[in-house]
Amino acid sequence: MSRLARIARAAALAVVATTVISCDRSITQTEQLPSLVASSLDASAGSWKMIVLSAPNQVAVPAPASITSDAYRLELAAIKSAQRVMTAAQRERIAHWSGGGVLRWDQVLRGLVARYNLPPAPRAGGSYPVPDASNPFADPAFPFANPPYAARAYSFVAVAQYEALKAAWFYKFQYNRPSPARVDADVRALMPVSELPAYPSEDAVMAGASVAMLQALFPAAVEEITRRGADQREAALLSGKASSSDLAAGLALGRAVAAQVLARMSTDGTAAAVGTPMQWAALADSARARGEIPWISLDGPARPPMLPNFGAVLSWAMTSADVVAARPKAPFSTSSAEMQAELAEVRRTVKGLTREQRAIALKWNDGAGTYAPPGHWNDIAAEYIRDAQFSEVRAARAFALLNMAMHDASVGCWEAKFRYFSPRPSQLDPSIRTEIGLPNFPAYPSGHSTFSAAAANVLGYLFPGAAPTFKAMSDQAGMSRMYGGIHFRNDIVEGSAHGDRIAAFTIRFAQGDRAP
Amino acid sequence: MCVGPHSSHTRAAPWRTIALALCTAASLAVAWPAALRAQSMDDAIFMDRRVLCAGLLYTREQWSEYWEGSRKRTSGNIGDVTTQQATWMGAYGVTDRLNLLASLPYVWTRVSQGVLQRQSGSQDISLGVKYNALSTPLTSVGTLHVIGVAAVSMPTTDYSPDFMPLSIGTASRRATARGLLSFQSHRGWYLNGSAAYTRRGNVRLDRVAYFTNDQLVLSNEVAMPDVRETAITLGYARPNLVVPIVLTNQVTLGGGDIRRQDMPFVSNRMNFTRMDARVQYTLPKLPGVVLHAGVSRVLNGRNVGQGTTVMAGLLLAGKL
Repeated sequence: MSRLARIARAAALAVVATTVISCDRSITQTEQLPSLVASSLDASAGSWKMIVLSAPNQVAVPAPASITSDAYRLELAAIKSAQRVMTAAQRERIAHWSGGGVLRWDQVLRGLVARYNLPPAPRAGGSYPVPDASNPFADPAFPFANPPYAARAYSFVAVAQYEALKAAWFYKFQYNRPSPARVDADVRALMPVSELPAYPSEDAVMAGASVAMLQALFPAAVEEITRRGADQREAALLSGKASSSDLAAGLALGRAVAAQVLARMSTDGTAAAVGTPMQWAALADSARARGEIPWISLDGPARPPMLPNFGAVLSWAMTSADVVAARPKAPFSTSSAEMQAELAEVRRTVKGLTREQRAIALKWNDGAGTYAPPGHWNDIAAEYIRDAQFSEVRAARAFALLNMAMHDASVGCWEAKFRYFSPRPSQLDPSIRTEIGLPNFPAYPSGHSTFSAAAANVLGYLFPGAAPTFKAMSDQAGMSRMYGGIHFRNDIVEGSAHGDRIAAFTIRFAQGDRAP
Repeated sequence: MCVGPHSSHTRAAPWRTIALALCTAASLAVAWPAALRAQSMDDAIFMDRRVLCAGLLYTREQWSEYWEGSRKRTSGNIGDVTTQQATWMGAYGVTDRLNLLASLPYVWTRVSQGVLQRQSGSQDISLGVKYNALSTPLTSVGTLHVIGVAAVSMPTTDYSPDFMPLSIGTASRRATARGLLSFQSHRGWYLNGSAAYTRRGNVRLDRVAYFTNDQLVLSNEVAMPDVRETAITLGYARPNLVVPIVLTNQVTLGGGDIRRQDMPFVSNRMNFTRMDARVQYTLPKLPGVVLHAGVSRVLNGRNVGQGTTVMAGLLLAGKL
């Protein structure tokens, strides 16, 4: 072999080796959750304003047995013997749940939304089946966790946890029973154990409330949901944080509070949100009667619009009159010069799209198969909530406020979308192609913009130092829709202003909720 | 010694043979979604020392049916998906037994229905080295060649792999090791068997979370499962004509299925079995010019389109 050949071969092998070795293929996930050491006990949380329940003690929790009782001593003995025979998997679950129950359940919920956020596949004849809550394992699976469904789910789970934790805090400071690791020095504290009274266990309260809510929202995932609830309770027990009676009282309280919240959820109007073919036709007729080009589905085959009656669903911080009053003014007429200018802008933007703009469109796409726009804002919020070391009840408050505002944004946005029933850019000009999937509902106002502005306002209220960051994110999320070729600028501008107005209702609630 | 299906003719007509041989480094036809779209470097042909062969191959793949997991279907949101590639490729004989190979495709994708934007761009450059470790007579009928190929591949632009099936590639860095046994009869028939393992580096998305393989991943990074490929080639070679028939099987060693009515995802488990038929013809009056043509069809697959591909190419060879 010639010298050149030797060099060439050596070089080639070096390139291969370097490439292979430099492939570090482990994925470091964001949102790592170290053990939660709350910066405050939030001892007053039992008096914070309730949302669904009339009072924190609406669900009665009986007084616990004394820590000197034989029954309680037996519970301590059971913890100690369980701690002696722990498996590696149990230790892992303790480490997992010590990151904070509220944060963990929010991650679980985002995963469930992403799993179920898929539209039904068309039948052979071109029609679409409707997901059936009573047959959730079928094809299509139930639910289709689209943005309104997801926004509602995030809000109901967060509110249920928040209500249940406020009630738990009420009883914790009424009964003042310490955690097992504080009662008995032989019980090891395998999670940070604070002075927070243990009865009823906040972990069991969260497990009870979350499992009940999630089973109703994602019935086909019952097995995973149940297992996670059991894991959280087991971790609380094995870590010396709660005894079996702390857990039993917490579980019962969490379930009972969830039952109250579920009663509201089952009558909030979502069942009628899909509408009927007659209603769908009436929407188009109404637009035509106003002299406008009505929205049509560009899915292949054409698909019924997504939840056209969602605008009538019950809001959290707004009355139905508030929803109407906050509605954006009508979009530019489809026959107006303004609309032609808007259309030209989208055409120009899509044609000259930069790589950076494409990245922004993809970053905020949050389309089918993802945790949806409200999930993206939960993702953003989680790290701020973690870094602030909020107590469980304060973390629940933050997620509740955020998701209440986004649910209200969803209701308000859908009310406006189906009132105006305005077309997407690609409908008015088929030469406009999209860099992301085209949502199957009317354009005006932009849902992303409404969700994002509402979220950014609430997060800015909770974390004032980062308010400009949230605002910049919200503006970028809005513009991402024009870069994607699926929205006009006016959809974004008016949607964002709408989100601002909607958030004000939630913030007004928060200002009077007695949380210091 | 020149190793090729026509090696018995090497001494008699070196230029013709060289062109024919080298330029057989044909790009394998594309199987959506372009898991290993680059040149496969899977043949038993070597350039003679100091011979350079380079040229362009054009492929056009189209499919309307695809496998959503194992369910075969069409989608009204995409209709027919068409992927065209113009691939520059070159090979150089460092020695008769050691060749360097390179290729770089430019890719265009589009759909026939729905609103999704067409994509195009320069895709991944591949660099490889091919070594003939052993050539030994086997029976009185022919010769057995043992060949190893090592190759790396990396994106040349920062295209997004997050728009499947329209993304122009997976944007993954790859390293492939291939072993190839070739039995070449004195009468022109040849039979190749090859196996390759491709290790794939993580890719980055423009978003912060994604759901695949039943899991929400809170990261912009996607772990790409490795890929195993096996191929059997039955071919016939004359001095200015080579006709290989190739059966290729790709298995992705991990990754999730496309979910019901979901878009495909970059790390999906993309498997397929494909049949290729190709013709390489050296112009009798211009022995440095080789014309390529081919067709291929995906016979079976998972998370890929059932593509039909046509290919045409022109390669030029000469001694430096």
